[in-house]
Amino acid sequence: MGSAVSPEATHVFKTASDVAASTESSVSLFGAKQTFISQLRALAYECSADGWDGDDALGLHPSALRQTEAFIRALPNDMPLPEVAADPDGSVSLDWIRSKHRMFSMSIGASNRFAYAWLNGASRGHAVFSFDGQSISQVLRASIMEVMSDGVTSFRAA
Amino acid sequence: MALLPSGLPDEVDDAEDLARFVTQSSHFNTCGVKPVAFLPDRTHDETSVSRHGEQPAERLWKMGAVAAGTRTLYGAAIFNAKTVRQTELVVQSAEPPDFHAAIRKWPVETNDPVSMKSRRLEAALVLASNTKFVRYQLTES
Repeated sequence: MGSAVSPEATHVFKTASDVAASTESSVSLFGAKQTFISQLRALAYECSADGWDGDDALGLHPSALRQTEAFIRALPNDMPLPEVAADPDGSVSLDWIRSKHRMFSMSIGASNRFAYAWLNGASRGHAVFSFDGQSISQVLRASIMEVMSDGVTSFRAA
Repeated sequence: MALLPSGLPDEVDDAEDLARFVTQSSHFNTCGVKPVAFLPDRTHDETSVSRHGEQPAERLWKMGAVAAGTRTLYGAAIFNAKTVRQTELVVQSAEPPDFHAAIRKWPVETNDPVSMKSRRLEAALVLASNTKFVRYQLTES
C-alpha cells in the first residue's frame, strides 16, 4: 500500500516539529532564568534594608542586584543556574552545589569584579572575575562546569 | 588550664564540636549549609558559634533560641574545631554567653576587598563541606 504523504510534506512536517521543539526548549530555558530572576527580586525585597538578618547586615546593594541579573542573563543556556542568597555585606551570593564536597560559590557586590571560590573534592581555590556586563569567560564557565559535571569535564578553558 | 564561667576550658580543643545557628532560609538546602552562612559579621569581623554538638538536643536548641532572638531558627551547622584550623582561621572562646566562641582572623586585604572576599569564600567553603546540618526540632520539656 502506498503512502498518501509526499516526501516534501514529510520534510515540512519534520522541520515544523524541530522548530516547535526548539521553541519549547527556549521557552523552558528562559523560564528557568525568569524563575531565578523572580527569586532574586523577592530576595531583594526581603533584604533591601540594613539589618535584614536581625543583626548588622547591609541591605542588598542595587548595583549587586543589577549585575546579578545581567550575569544570569549572560550565562549560556547549557549552564546550570545557581542558588541565590543574601550576604551580610550587601552582596548577592550565588552557589552551584553538586554535593557537600563539590561547590562553587560567587559573591556579587557593588563593583564589576566578582569574588569566587570553589571546592572540588581535595582541590580548592579562589579567584576574581571581571564582568563586562555581557559575557562570561571560558575559564569561569569551565570552573563552574568542572564542579557541576558528573566527573567528565565538558568545557575546557581556551 | 583556666576555666570559663560555663565550666569549659578557655582553649577550644580540636576535638570539640561547634554549632553555627542558621536563621536565614536561603542559607541552606538539601545538601546542607551554604558557605554564606559562615561569613563573619560586619561589626566584629567574626563568626559566632557555640561550643556544642548535636547532643543534648534540648540544650542545643535552647542556645539556638537565644542566639536567634526574634529571628526564625532553622537549624544548626555542626562541625569540628579542627576543621576551622584546616583553614587560616582560628576559633577562640568568647564568653559570655556561656559556651560562646568566635571564628576569627578572616583574611584581610584592605587594598583589594574583592580579592579578600574570594579568600574568605574559600575558607567558608571548607567549613560548609565539613558540616552536618541539623534541622531545628521542638523538643518536649
